[in-house]
Amino acid sequence: MARVGSRETLDRIRRVFVASLHLNLRAEDLAYEDKLDEVAALDSVALLEFVAALEKEFEFTLEPEMLTIEVVRDLQQLAAYIDEQSVQGRPRPESRA
Amino acid sequence: MRTPEAVPTSASAASPQPRATLPLFTANDLLWLVYFYPICWLARILPRSFLYAIGKLVDPIVQIHLHDRKEKVVPWIAEACGVTAGRAREIARRSLTNNLFGTLDDLLLLRPSPEGMLCCQGVEGRHHLESAIARGKGVILLVGHFFASRIALRYLAKHGYETLSVRNRQPSNAAEGRLGRRFVRARRSEVQQRVLPDHVYVQDPECTLKIMRRLRAGGLAAVQLDGRAGTNPLEYSFLGMRRHLASGTFEIVRLSDCAVVPMLCLGRSDGFRIRFEPALEIVPATSRDAFVCANLPRFVTVMERQIIANPEEWRLWNPYLAWRV
Repeated sequence: MARVGSRETLDRIRRVFVASLHLNLRAEDLAYEDKLDEVAALDSVALLEFVAALEKEFEFTLEPEMLTIEVVRDLQQLAAYIDEQSVQGRPRPESRA
Repeated sequence: MRTPEAVPTSASAASPQPRATLPLFTANDLLWLVYFYPICWLARILPRSFLYAIGKLVDPIVQIHLHDRKEKVVPWIAEACGVTAGRAREIARRSLTNNLFGTLDDLLLLRPSPEGMLCCQGVEGRHHLESAIARGKGVILLVGHFFASRIALRYLAKHGYETLSVRNRQPSNAAEGRLGRRFVRARRSEVQQRVLPDHVYVQDPECTLKIMRRLRAGGLAAVQLDGRAGTNPLEYSFLGMRRHLASGTFEIVRLSDCAVVPMLCLGRSDGFRIRFEPALEIVPATSRDAFVCANLPRFVTVMERQIIANPEEWRLWNPYLAWRV
């Protein structure tokens, strides 16, 4: 059975997605089941910017094996992963940003 | 200080020639077909000396065939390198010869175990690479389009420095006919993949994620900033010519905090050298634009310096004329 993230995390991810990519839509317009790359045409750099914004918002680092389009495009998977990470208390990434 | 300006994405894509206007075949198609089939098959069994002998025989024909293209590029080489027209003509001629031998070296890389044929005459500045790796945040190797870059990357992979190469999936070929489009393109891509198996295409929607994955695992990725720009290109002056540079690299560097080590590879498979330069000092910035403004000039300066010092070894003199803004 697919993992499901909390509603609060799903909402935060939606907000980060819309804000980080400066999309002309409201976070609420995204359904939890949406695939993000289908909602907005995401190029490779946009995906990376979204990941960076997520990591900043949730103060965690996506593990290398999670850096795939299948994970990053999937709101539910992302939320479940982030909830898991927050339970485990992963350290915040350092970056030049 | 030069300042990069962002330009619209669509500006980078040159529209391909419609199929209907293409000739059935061109001399270029025939040369590539000979290269990709009989020569490619022979290269599996022939010794390198024999392959190079073919190269020496073919070189005068290629020089005559591409005479006009060479002449077109002479004024730019003269201006960019600060040399006379005569010297620029010599650089264009030697660049073409090196291109021919570079493509023959590619065939050697198609062999099951080509590493034994790669004669490295020295690796300078390995400590720069080791220091950068020791930071633990991955390393981007800033590599120019030099003829020896591919053999150097294969050599390094064999010696424990596996590097993800970032490449363009469909090399442009303005001189192709319908035959070339039908038979050469696919074969070219296939050969390209086998020459550097550890690669990601810039057209891959996951390109930056794959690079990030490698960097976060402490690995290496080779980026050719002097190549053709993808999405969100930056208009900038490179070797005295306005053109588009890829912007994605800067975003990866900013967000990953990886080290950037310029690498220079010169020569041919029977004798090449690799040089790692000190890691670039990266200026931190909070936004993408500020980061690009602060760092792009030093990336460009390194590439220009390498090219001007070794103009015969750089493969993009001709393509750049088509890519200028």
